[in-house]
Amino acid sequence: MGVILQNRAARVRVGKGDKPVTYEQAHPPHYIAHRKGWLSLHTSNLDGEGGAAERTVEDVFIRKFIYGTFHGCLANEIVLKRRANVLVVCAVFLQRLPPYKFYFLVGYTETLLSFLYKCPVRLEVQTVPEKVIYKYL
Amino acid sequence: MAAASGCLFCARPMLPRLCAGLAAGPRSLLRVSAYSTALVVGSAGPSPGQVAASRRSRTSQIARNRRLPGAPRTEKMAVDQYWGNVYPTAAAFNPSSVPLPIRMGYPVKRGVPPPKEGNLELIKIPNFLHLTPPAIKKHCTALKDFCTEWPTVLDSDEKCEQHFPIEIETVDYVSAGPSVRNPKARVVTLRVKLSKLNLDDHAKKKLIKLVGERYCKDTDILTITTDRCPLRRQNYDYGVYLLTVLYHESWKTEMWENEKTEADMEEYIWDNSPSQKNALDTLVRIRAAEKTTEVTKEELLASEIVENYKTTVVALKNEGETENNILQYKESVTKLLNLQALQ
Repeated sequence: MGVILQNRAARVRVGKGDKPVTYEQAHPPHYIAHRKGWLSLHTSNLDGEGGAAERTVEDVFIRKFIYGTFHGCLANEIVLKRRANVLVVCAVFLQRLPPYKFYFLVGYTETLLSFLYKCPVRLEVQTVPEKVIYKYL
Repeated sequence: MAAASGCLFCARPMLPRLCAGLAAGPRSLLRVSAYSTALVVGSAGPSPGQVAASRRSRTSQIARNRRLPGAPRTEKMAVDQYWGNVYPTAAAFNPSSVPLPIRMGYPVKRGVPPPKEGNLELIKIPNFLHLTPPAIKKHCTALKDFCTEWPTVLDSDEKCEQHFPIEIETVDYVSAGPSVRNPKARVVTLRVKLSKLNLDDHAKKKLIKLVGERYCKDTDILTITTDRCPLRRQNYDYGVYLLTVLYHESWKTEMWENEKTEADMEEYIWDNSPSQKNALDTLVRIRAAEKTTEVTKEELLASEIVENYKTTVVALKNEGETENNILQYKESVTKLLNLQALQ
């Protein structure tokens, strides 16, 4: 095709070989369901179910919120799982803050989001020393 | 840090209490706050050289005081531990809690799939680590106290049908989200076999005409689906009411029902039909032509040949044309008209 009409969605362009890239960033969207899973799991996208728009808006807000609350500490994208009423936020953090600060921020996020969305919100947290590099582009 | 900036604006007497509260954290923080509050608001502030020095000392102190991450839980697990204590409920995959060397993901060229530490793919997928067979056994034993035995009398399908002829079907919906309500949950389906209802011939025909498509002839089941009310209980009551009304109405005979014409009949009835008249007329004329004894119509009707003809015609009309039916019709006609067998 032409040089103009190239897909740019969620693709990290190849560079000199010095750009570290995680597994999530390295795979463009057409690898979803082939090499990647879904970052957000809920029943609204099934046939005949409603509420997909509301869940998506909630997802976007929660991602931005956690990106800002744990600034500079996120190693990878956030995984959101909904189990009946409960919202489980699975996050991988870098060990950039002392643990007591992490605990405080986790409690703060859980309380604030539960009051905001009127449903129990659980944060399941893992920490890694550095970002997990998949390859260098 | 938020705590340090807060110190600048708080009143002097509160400072010692705050510093005491922060004693739990790295000591550098205490020193910074003590340093920054020592300068009263209104002075020029620390000079750049002093700030740089404080920053360098602070980062080195943070590096020295940083608590190293402890050993993961996998190294402290006994081989014969109860796994239900590690994953009691549904939880995301935690690499430091699962003592398995799992790798997940598409491998890099000439490489292996990425390891489990920080592996987002393992977190994304739903896992069943909380549902091992011993855990499920534990759930079942706990639930057994709330269960009652199945009644021993109902040990076959026929007995269930005999005691409970009406079947009610409702669907409950569960979805992920803050709301429990689903508008599809109000639909109620009632199923009953007409043979279980006390209906005579006229009532059964009238009921089938009233319900139309809801009756299945092959299985003799009447299905009533109600969803016009907003609540499930209301729909159930409406369904039962419909069944009652249908039953009572089908037993009543209205005045206009005796205007039922042949086009309304459900099945072919041979008595008083054109076929009967034609057959009898033909036979009478044959007898008259042969000048044998006069036979009355009643005797002809009672004779076996005419009975045979009647059964074949009824079969043809009601069941449609099959090989068997047509052959039998041919035989009965040949007998009726006394024709010799045509090969």
